[in-house]
Amino acid sequence: MLLRGVLIAASVLTTLLIMRKIRKEKMMIEESLFWIGFSFMLIVFSVFPQIVFKMSDLVGTQSPSNFIFLFIIFVLIVRMFQMSMKISQLESKLKDLVARIAIDENLRKEKKEET
Amino acid sequence: MSDVLIIIPAYNEEANIERVVDHLVQNFPQYDYVIVNDGSKDSTGEICTRRGYNFLDLPVNLGLAGAFQAGIRYAYKKNYECAIQLDGDGQHRPDFVEDMKKKMDEGYDIVIGSRFINEKKPMTMRMLGSNLLELAIRLTTGVDIKDPTSGMRMFSRNMIREFAMGLNYGPEPDTVSYLVKQGAKVAEVPVIMDERISGTSYLTPIRAAKYMTQMLVSILLIQNFRTRSGS
Repeated sequence: MLLRGVLIAASVLTTLLIMRKIRKEKMMIEESLFWIGFSFMLIVFSVFPQIVFKMSDLVGTQSPSNFIFLFIIFVLIVRMFQMSMKISQLESKLKDLVARIAIDENLRKEKKEET
Repeated sequence: MSDVLIIIPAYNEEANIERVVDHLVQNFPQYDYVIVNDGSKDSTGEICTRRGYNFLDLPVNLGLAGAFQAGIRYAYKKNYECAIQLDGDGQHRPDFVEDMKKKMDEGYDIVIGSRFINEKKPMTMRMLGSNLLELAIRLTTGVDIKDPTSGMRMFSRNMIREFAMGLNYGPEPDTVSYLVKQGAKVAEVPVIMDERISGTSYLTPIRAAKYMTQMLVSILLIQNFRTRSGS
């Protein structure tokens, strides 16, 4: 029973922390959707563990905790992949921006020397 | 300098941009405009340079929200009284800017060019989405916005300042809902919109579903506990 209490408290606290950050405009709404969904999922799993037991039976994992690990790790891997893609895009945009600034600067100097 | 700045976000609009802007320049010289070339991969930027249009050339693609914010920052810097978004594909007619400006002068913060004030919504998937958003906004704010997805929105100087500085201020229904909840006064003016003549719409079914989920969660949930910044 203690474990369940800890789980519920931890998931509720996580949700509150995430909401506080969103509230303070630390995160874009598009990004926060995943975290809100994820933290609600944690709450649901900790308050109604029967769901996890059912799903574990359905999938055929040896124990419910195995199912939880498998499931959450998978969700996080997908998320990590998405973030990795995003970072790549950001890096390439940054590169474009820096190059653009340098080139513009150079062109401006050239123009100045001409006049 | 006019009081009104027309912001035209354009991403890969080489087929439309000349027609849209020429129409605007020839028939509505009383308004200032700025095109925001959102890192287009086609020749939109070259066309703007060649024709001597007034435009912001974003070196990378930021998406509609970022492009619009760039335009709004320009409006803020140049201290315009109000700013309105007109799409680069020619769906929005500048004829209605005058009506909207008049409405704004009655003391509103946001004026939306609405397709459905006098007309009923046709029964399509798109309009089902529009109805859902309308309902969500009514539930959270108590205000009825008949055409929440209309991109033709005019913002007052106060709103311009907020949009220029804020993080989550995309030109989307959830921002409107949030601002209304925060006490912004919103009005709708009937307009007619044209179908796009060339190019394809950005909205594929998957994107539409994603957009709807995002907007609904955002309006019903997130916007309720956001604190206001910038004012």
